Amino acid sequence: MKPIILRPSLYGLLLLITFLFGSCDSFLDESPDKKLALPSTLQDMQALLDNHSVMNQNSPAGSSVTSADNIYLPSVTWNAMSNESERRKYTWEKDNLFRMGYRPNHWYNVFQPIYHANTVLESLSGIPRTAANASTWDDVKGQASFYRGEALLAAAYVWALAYDEATASTDLGLPLRLGTSFHEQLVRASVRDTYEQVMRDLREAATLLPAGTQHPVRPSKPAAYAVLARACLSMRKYVEAGAYADSSLALYDGLLDYNQLSATPTYPLPAFNAEVLHHNIFGGVQSLTIGNARVDTLLYASYAADDLRRTLFFRRNADGTNAFRGSYAGSSSYFAGAATNEVYLIQAEARARTGDVTGAMESLNKLLRTRWKTDTFQEYAADNAAGALELILQERRKELLFRGLRWMDIKRLNREGAGIALQRVLNGNTYLLPPGDPRFALAIPEDVIEQSGMQQNPR
Amino acid sequence: MKKLFFLFCLLGGLAPAVAQQALSGRVVSAADNSPLPGASVRLKDAATGAITNHEGYFTLPVTQQTGVLQVSFLGFVSQEYAYTLPLPEPLVLVLAPAHQGLQEVVISTGYQQLPRERATGSFAQVDKATFNEQVGPDVLSRLEAVANGLTVNRAGFEPQLLVRGLSSINGAQSPLIVVDNFPYEGDITNINPNDVESITILRDAAAASIWGARAGNGVIVITTKKGRYHQPLSAEINVNVTAVAKPDLSYLRPISASDFIDVEQALFEKGYFDSQLNAVSRPELSPVVEILARKKNGTLSPEQADAQINALRQVDVRDEFDRHMYQQAVRQQYALHLRSGSDVLAWSLAAGYDRNTDELAATYNRLSLRFQNTLRPHRNLALSTGAFYTQRESGSGKPGYGQIGNWNNNLYPYARFADENGTPLPLHKDYTQAYKDTVGGGRLKDWNYYPLEDYRHAHSATTLQDVTANFGLQYTWRHGLSGDVKYQYERQQTEGQQLYGEESYFARDFVNRYAQLPPGTGAIRYVVPEGGILDQTGTLLASQNLRGQLNLDRSWGNHTVTAIIGAEMRHARVTGSRTRLYGYDPERLTFGEVDYTTRYPHLVTGGLLFIPDNSNRDHRTDRFLSQYANAAYTFRDRYTVSLSARRDASNLFGLKTNDRWNPLWSSGLSWELSKEPFYRSGFLPFLKLRSTYGYSGSTNPAFTAVSTLFYVATSPYTQNTYARFSNYANPDLSWETVGMWNIGLDFGTKDNRLTGSLEYYRKRAFDLLALYPVDYTTGVGSQVMRNVASMAGRGADLEIRSRNIDRALQWTSQLNLSLNREKVTDYYLGESAAYQYVTPGYRITGETGKPLHAVYSYKWAGLDPQTGNPQGFVDGEVSQDYFAIVYGEAKPDELQYHGSALPTAFGSLGNTLSWKRLSLTARISWKLGYYFRAPSIQYGSLFDAWGGHADFARRWQQPGDERTTHVPSLTYPNDSARDVFYAGSEVLVEKGDHVRLQYISASYDLLRPDTGRKSFKNMQAYLNLGNLGILWRANRRGLDPDVSALNALPQPPSVSLGLKATL
Repeated sequence: MKPIILRPSLYGLLLLITFLFGSCDSFLDESPDKKLALPSTLQDMQALLDNHSVMNQNSPAGSSVTSADNIYLPSVTWNAMSNESERRKYTWEKDNLFRMGYRPNHWYNVFQPIYHANTVLESLSGIPRTAANASTWDDVKGQASFYRGEALLAAAYVWALAYDEATASTDLGLPLRLGTSFHEQLVRASVRDTYEQVMRDLREAATLLPAGTQHPVRPSKPAAYAVLARACLSMRKYVEAGAYADSSLALYDGLLDYNQLSATPTYPLPAFNAEVLHHNIFGGVQSLTIGNARVDTLLYASYAADDLRRTLFFRRNADGTNAFRGSYAGSSSYFAGAATNEVYLIQAEARARTGDVTGAMESLNKLLRTRWKTDTFQEYAADNAAGALELILQERRKELLFRGLRWMDIKRLNREGAGIALQRVLNGNTYLLPPGDPRFALAIPEDVIEQSGMQQNPR
Repeated sequence: MKKLFFLFCLLGGLAPAVAQQALSGRVVSAADNSPLPGASVRLKDAATGAITNHEGYFTLPVTQQTGVLQVSFLGFVSQEYAYTLPLPEPLVLVLAPAHQGLQEVVISTGYQQLPRERATGSFAQVDKATFNEQVGPDVLSRLEAVANGLTVNRAGFEPQLLVRGLSSINGAQSPLIVVDNFPYEGDITNINPNDVESITILRDAAAASIWGARAGNGVIVITTKKGRYHQPLSAEINVNVTAVAKPDLSYLRPISASDFIDVEQALFEKGYFDSQLNAVSRPELSPVVEILARKKNGTLSPEQADAQINALRQVDVRDEFDRHMYQQAVRQQYALHLRSGSDVLAWSLAAGYDRNTDELAATYNRLSLRFQNTLRPHRNLALSTGAFYTQRESGSGKPGYGQIGNWNNNLYPYARFADENGTPLPLHKDYTQAYKDTVGGGRLKDWNYYPLEDYRHAHSATTLQDVTANFGLQYTWRHGLSGDVKYQYERQQTEGQQLYGEESYFARDFVNRYAQLPPGTGAIRYVVPEGGILDQTGTLLASQNLRGQLNLDRSWGNHTVTAIIGAEMRHARVTGSRTRLYGYDPERLTFGEVDYTTRYPHLVTGGLLFIPDNSNRDHRTDRFLSQYANAAYTFRDRYTVSLSARRDASNLFGLKTNDRWNPLWSSGLSWELSKEPFYRSGFLPFLKLRSTYGYSGSTNPAFTAVSTLFYVATSPYTQNTYARFSNYANPDLSWETVGMWNIGLDFGTKDNRLTGSLEYYRKRAFDLLALYPVDYTTGVGSQVMRNVASMAGRGADLEIRSRNIDRALQWTSQLNLSLNREKVTDYYLGESAAYQYVTPGYRITGETGKPLHAVYSYKWAGLDPQTGNPQGFVDGEVSQDYFAIVYGEAKPDELQYHGSALPTAFGSLGNTLSWKRLSLTARISWKLGYYFRAPSIQYGSLFDAWGGHADFARRWQQPGDERTTHVPSLTYPNDSARDVFYAGSEVLVEKGDHVRLQYISASYDLLRPDTGRKSFKNMQAYLNLGNLGILWRANRRGLDPDVSALNALPQPPSVSLGLKATL
């Protein structure tokens, strides 16, 4: 019996093959992963900037804290530290201050958020600003500018000497990464150009950012003014510093009354508290863990008995030394963001330096009143600008510990003639860092120098 | 497109129009009546011939009513047959197999079945008999010992199958695996090795290029057993059981408990643990450190402390593992295979069940079912369907050495799991024990970790189900033209469940960590609800393949053409999910609610923490479009030219449409010298020379040309989803290409006493994706991926089969010998520091002219006789400036170059002795010409992470020791660069060369051939001894170079006993 089947047509098969040959590219347009996106929308930009582990947790300020004089390490502790770069950083060695190679170090921590910011700024040029998206568009651009300016400034604190009008054009600043291409050969800009870029970015941010944000992990206008004030202070442009501090406080001047805090928790100062303008933290620094870093003995002794910071900021170690626990990160991480307490102190210093003694003391007292036990605070008073300044600088050091600000304060105050010399004693050896020493600018990681051909800081 | 049509028209047009009558028939093997595809049938004294198709059928145009057919097929005795038309009955020509030799004569490429004699490319085959000499539970693990040109690289993190070495740096390096025509997307261990009919390894470009952009690393084609037409019902049964010895823990060489305690005491006195004793985080401390701390603060008397410490000196954690954790592994295998075939229907049904328990009591069960049939309702039409089902269940067992301990999974070497009465003892884990014991005043859950019990409470189970269904239609037109449509659907569902029961340490620790404990005796508040924690994962893979193909198999006169042209599309989608439930009660299936957006203080450290959400969803899609054509033309049965071309396109992200298509081609020539009239060699009656050249490709979908973002999760701060970069904008990326030239010689001596092949190849891989250093000021890390590298490889593969004695006693041998060397020809890794060459482990060095994975070391200048410090060289001078040696600018000339980290010569030799019903096979294998680093003491790891090595006992302690040891002295504080220098120094580099006795297998036919009962065709009992150990090794440390992972153990020997029967 002959099977009754349809004789398959050769042309049918050819048709199928033709179809497979000709299948249009739409078959291939399917995204390989739904979670992947090309950075193209404002939502994508915001998503990048909301990556808190990159944008808000990468400050290089730890290098500043380790190098400055608010902490010390006993010899046993220093000997027990496995991270050799940290040991070297602590004794102001000339080189090899950062782990190299594939292990991220503080240099990388700075430029990773900058790359994010640059991606956003470049991509924004492809997104038209319209009436409908204007506020979001401005906000996103402002955030990216803020992050770039803030990161550059923090890096300048670590790897550059203090800004000095006389030498700023020739002193070595930072490589200015303003785009995303990795083929671009970088050179180090001068300190002047570096600070100008910082100011440009932050001014742009201050213009574009909204006055308030959903959460302090996102930058806001008062945060941008605060960092501008910080930048001007380190440039010793006190008038501008004061003006930016005023602008910041005009938008937000909240303070946290320390009387409302309990000393029981391990870390009594909450994260995102009323003073935090922008949340930016750092951690994972071996020399600064709570078991390792001891607070300078004289500094600790300078807190009065009724000063709440004496208990809220410090933890007594078994050996009688003190550890710092007062971070605005509310954890073992340290705070390097912007907060109103710093802005008040900048305002006070700027006022004092421009002769407004009353105004200066007003700013200082407004802040300190929240730091003392209720009804115990005696308002500070000063007869003249110099006296006011001395008080303000002392309180600045006491208020802003472990934020990476002291290192730049030493450098800038030495330019004002303060003559602060640093000294460490370890295992019977004494290490000195005299004012004006080139080691106040830390050595850039050697592998970066090797690969980029950039100039190393003079040693 | 049009051109290809034209080509087909042209090929069709070549058919001469002389056929007046057609003679049809079929060629089968005398051994088992199986069809012989690709056999040559020709008219004697005429120029007409045909080639049998897949089912052994042929049709030959004839002009004479009578004549003589010559039928020949490699590996079979040629035959002549006188015919007279019309044929009285369907013509079936039965060929008797020639003596053992090139039996596996049909090569399957996954796209076509090709007679080996007309192949130009390099194909290595593993026949069923050799494959089944081992009893391993999966297909690939059986190949290493027997396949030619294939090796398993164990120097990296995971064992990696390599065909002819490496062809890529960062792309896929393992071969493509094809099961029955289509790439297998599922887990290859789903395939039951008992279902395997044959395995073909496509090694050169001509063989592999038909697979295009995924074939750059070779292709392994697995063909499963199928039913055949004209066959009575047969059943094969195979049952075996394997017992594996307990692993030998003495292979591990941790520091002795006593030495470790001495170090801890010395460190304690130096204040090393002060900051940890002081730390808010209450970090874990070893028992000895806690005893010393109690001694110091007076809560323990010095006598008691010393007594406790001295008791610990006697403990060896390896004994504890051996006694409490390890056991003999047992594997059982049951397989049944039924097949039958009538004229129109051939079917096969296979069922297999595997039941394994490993050395740590982890369980693994696999059930596999395969059903395949082919229906031929009309002589020209074949419909085939197949359905495969695999179900696998695996469950976790006890923890092994190196799987529990501190953050690094290191354990103090005096850890004990149980006391004298067998009561489980806790390990010091995560927090200071003294703190754990007192915190909470009894209000918290027990915070101890008991390794002896915990595995009962924390159990993971994985279930996998794979269903594959395929459908094929083949129609044969006249003139040897046929068409195929094939479709396959696969769905693999994997469900994982990790249950941390309420009693598990994981769950108790989690609940405790987040517990809010008011001071005094207030009631505790649990933020993470009490109960267990359940993590569930699900992955669904669904893939579809559709292929349309035209085949031409045509002979006329002196000409034979075999050609295919086709196109296919492939779509594979993976969706995955992961969820976690807290406070889970597996009895009642209830769970608790947690708040993922609030930060809670950690009970110990006080730091604020979110409760981890641990939920995730995935959705990935791979799509490929491919078009291919392959043609071989043979003239006078001895000259063959082949051509193959293919192009692929995929949905890789960000590729511009123009870059999507990647065209690849190959061509080849072969010449069967022994068929030339002038060739008269009685000694070598078969000699064939072939050569190919061509390209295949490789791609890694992970690297794309544009910046892509990966949406990570919802930010707990802004409640907005946040993203990270998945890929950084990198506009220059393109496909990788591998070009290979292959020349081969196939030979057979008289009566096939000695048969084999010798091949030599050179390959060049270019546009390789490689990490290219960038200054990390760019913000994208220190390296980016670019098509910057190229490499060249060359090697040779020799395969010889011989019948040494062929009497009542038979002795046959099979030899595989491969050489493979590859070197980097172009790669600027911009190595800036010496350590980048030397970094211990398996790493790309990228030095031009050297292997991709080269072993370098720091030159060694002995130990300093005064201090025991290791000494190297800086600028030719003996130096102890380790920072300069290690992190200084690299000068490769100043480093010691040893050689490749991958074997450059490897092979195996199998010998089989058969006498009457007994057969005995032994196989050795070897790997030669490579280097590895031996582990030794690292003081940093010893101090920080409980990682010690027994070499500590051999360290320099006093002047003079430098003459007998190279182990540096202990120094404090530790200098990490000194550790790095020693770990990478030349004294720790060893030759990897070794010879291994892979297995001995014996089989005995239980039925005497003459008096065998009718119900069984045969019945065989077999015994296999596997992993019998290393016969010779070049290193004097007793190390197994195939065991490179930290804390890994050599595979212990195994014994299997089994029974095979056919009825």
